[in-house]
Amino acid sequence: MENHSTMIAQQDTVAIDTPVAQEIPATNGKAVADNPRILSGAQALMESLIAEGTEVIFGYPGGAIMPTYDALYDYTDRLDHILVRHEQGAGHAAQGYARTSGKPGVCLVTSGPGGTNLVTPIADAIIDCTPLVCIIGQVKSTLLGTDAFQETDIIGVTTPVCKWNYQITHADEVPEVLAKAFYIATSGKPGPVVIDFARDAQVGAMTKAFEYKKVESLVSYKPRVVPKDEHVEKAADLINNAKKPYILFGHGVLISGAMEEFKAFVEKTDIPCASTLLGLSAIPIDHPNYMGWLGMHGNYGTNVLTTQADVIIAIGMRFDDRVTGDATKYIRQAKVIHIEIDPSEIDKIIKADAPVVGDAKEVLKKLLPLVKENNHAAWKSEFKKYDVIEDEKITQRELKPEGEIKMAEVVRMLSEKTKGEACIIADVGQHQMIAARYYQFKKPHSYIASGGLGTMGFAIPAAFGAKKGATEREVVAFIGDGCFQMTIQELGTIAQSGLAVKLIILNNNYLGMVRQWQQLFFEKRYSYVELQNPDFITIAKGFGIQGHTCSDRENLSDSLDTLLKSDKPYLLEVMVEKEENVFPMVPAGAAVADIKLEC
Amino acid sequence: MTTYTICIFTENTFGLLNKITILFTRRRINIESLTVSETERKGVSRYTITIKHEKREEVEKLVKQIRKVVEVLAVFGYLDNEIVYNEIALFKIATPIGTRPLDIETVNKVYKAWVVYWGLDYVVIEKAGDEAEILDFFRYIKPYGILEFVKSGRVAVGKTPNGLVEFLPEEAHWEYYL
Repeated sequence: MENHSTMIAQQDTVAIDTPVAQEIPATNGKAVADNPRILSGAQALMESLIAEGTEVIFGYPGGAIMPTYDALYDYTDRLDHILVRHEQGAGHAAQGYARTSGKPGVCLVTSGPGGTNLVTPIADAIIDCTPLVCIIGQVKSTLLGTDAFQETDIIGVTTPVCKWNYQITHADEVPEVLAKAFYIATSGKPGPVVIDFARDAQVGAMTKAFEYKKVESLVSYKPRVVPKDEHVEKAADLINNAKKPYILFGHGVLISGAMEEFKAFVEKTDIPCASTLLGLSAIPIDHPNYMGWLGMHGNYGTNVLTTQADVIIAIGMRFDDRVTGDATKYIRQAKVIHIEIDPSEIDKIIKADAPVVGDAKEVLKKLLPLVKENNHAAWKSEFKKYDVIEDEKITQRELKPEGEIKMAEVVRMLSEKTKGEACIIADVGQHQMIAARYYQFKKPHSYIASGGLGTMGFAIPAAFGAKKGATEREVVAFIGDGCFQMTIQELGTIAQSGLAVKLIILNNNYLGMVRQWQQLFFEKRYSYVELQNPDFITIAKGFGIQGHTCSDRENLSDSLDTLLKSDKPYLLEVMVEKEENVFPMVPAGAAVADIKLEC
Repeated sequence: MTTYTICIFTENTFGLLNKITILFTRRRINIESLTVSETERKGVSRYTITIKHEKREEVEKLVKQIRKVVEVLAVFGYLDNEIVYNEIALFKIATPIGTRPLDIETVNKVYKAWVVYWGLDYVVIEKAGDEAEILDFFRYIKPYGILEFVKSGRVAVGKTPNGLVEFLPEEAHWEYYL
């Protein structure tokens, strides 16, 4: 016991002896005016963001981040700040923005609850590879570890879900850390980074002149962008000798901007291709080599024929369990070429015979001259046989139903009215799968949804962010009645911005996907899935957003026209069939060949 | 269960231990021992972590995941026969007047252990070796009365003609201690 008390005493001594960071009073932008080249940490942050080409910040102020908001006040001519209604909204809006603009989304929130509210979007962004730079306020560095007001160990909280994080405790660190943050967020496999910005580092003055140098490489972090020649050659060899090659492509094609190279590769080799959920829209849906999409609610032939291919070419995808079903039974007969920028994805789920680590665009550029022109008409026609069955058993029934409105006909009608060129945002659940199935994508970056994490409440803020990132595009979100209520407050953000974001609630009064599973796998024991919904249109009007409800098929076309013609944000609520199920479906844990077309 | 020794080279920054250990936690892999120290290169830390696992491929996946941490410079996974390794243990043994005296000759010659501190009524013995050797000595010395026993994690070097630091990225201008 004696020893223990000695140890504690020593710790106390250490704590007292620790040099206290120099206190510098809040500047309000004045104190540093004497020497314009000496900036406060908060001002250095603004300059760093501008140096990185940041145009928009999605944020929410609060105690520990107030000095930064004070600095922002002087930068409103160069930095557009969007005041969200909840920090989760800031994160998802930044994700939507990143995915349409191709730039990293920047979030600015306060310490404690501000930071913890941002954790869900951070976790969403890491699994869907979305570049975010999240700046989170922190208490003064002298108060760290004291349970100070709104203190949360945000480094500890975010470490498992972000690509990189760092705590800034001195203003001098700001430019260097921001440059590193932007580089890490956007390079290699993109992802979210977190900057924990202590209050004293925000108000404190830099001890040197502000100088911003972009980071272009780091000693410890070197994503391989250009693939090794021998790996590409091995892949080309497998492709050239394949009888039934099959391309499975994912989000990586869109992230690397490889759409042209991908199309050229597909056309030269004439190999059929299928998309993952997040790969949708990387190639136009009417391309003759595009066979549909993969996975749990993907197409019939695209799933089943994975069992017949002799060479699988996986490009920028990671064999998610929603794609593979039972991975031990997935593509066992095929040689696998895995083109992927993240080496830890190679062999993670599916063993690769020819791994090619590199950026999809760079790999395809190198691969294209090595592959032979080919004709796979017979192999492609096998997919068509399955399409006929799927069309007859599911698609026709969904698109030309009798009785209540079905989600599919809403999506398809919107697809026709927008000529497949709108940017579709989906929330999570049945409507997400239906939107993916029935919208006919013609332009890239047109399907934005929470794929890996499946975050309900994603769509309202993400739609807003997507519109902010591509104001010239028609942005339409499909949202379930359950999801809508998870981030309903962001209607305020949309209304305040005035951006013409179009929202469609597909209302079945249920948590539809959970209900579907309960029906199919839990003997129809509907456990807490029915909702008593509010009057969504009245709520939207309360926020200043116009809208109306459509309950009849006869009004559907006119309703969609009203939605699309509005030059302001608009909400259309469509009452759809209550107990509709999404098919095809690969039951969780089953092999993809066991895909079901009906109950 | 096979023992694997994972050597990780990292930049010496805050919170890195946490960034590394959570990768083990997430995969439900228990850390058997862990040692962290600075290397012959300034600012570079070396972690030596031992784990037991049934599947080599799972360990390989873990190694790739560790490599993904931005501050990690290099990761190596080894089987026991690929490394030279050791641990060090300290034994505090009671030696009050009237008790059986320690047989220092046996301690030195048979067990290759050394008394490193003489107290008035206790001694501290240092024993270096692998787990089995330390356990062997533990059994021998136990009847004398162990007041305290502490053992370090494993330290290991690879049985290769090169130093592992040679695998670190080249373009950095490392400052050597040696």
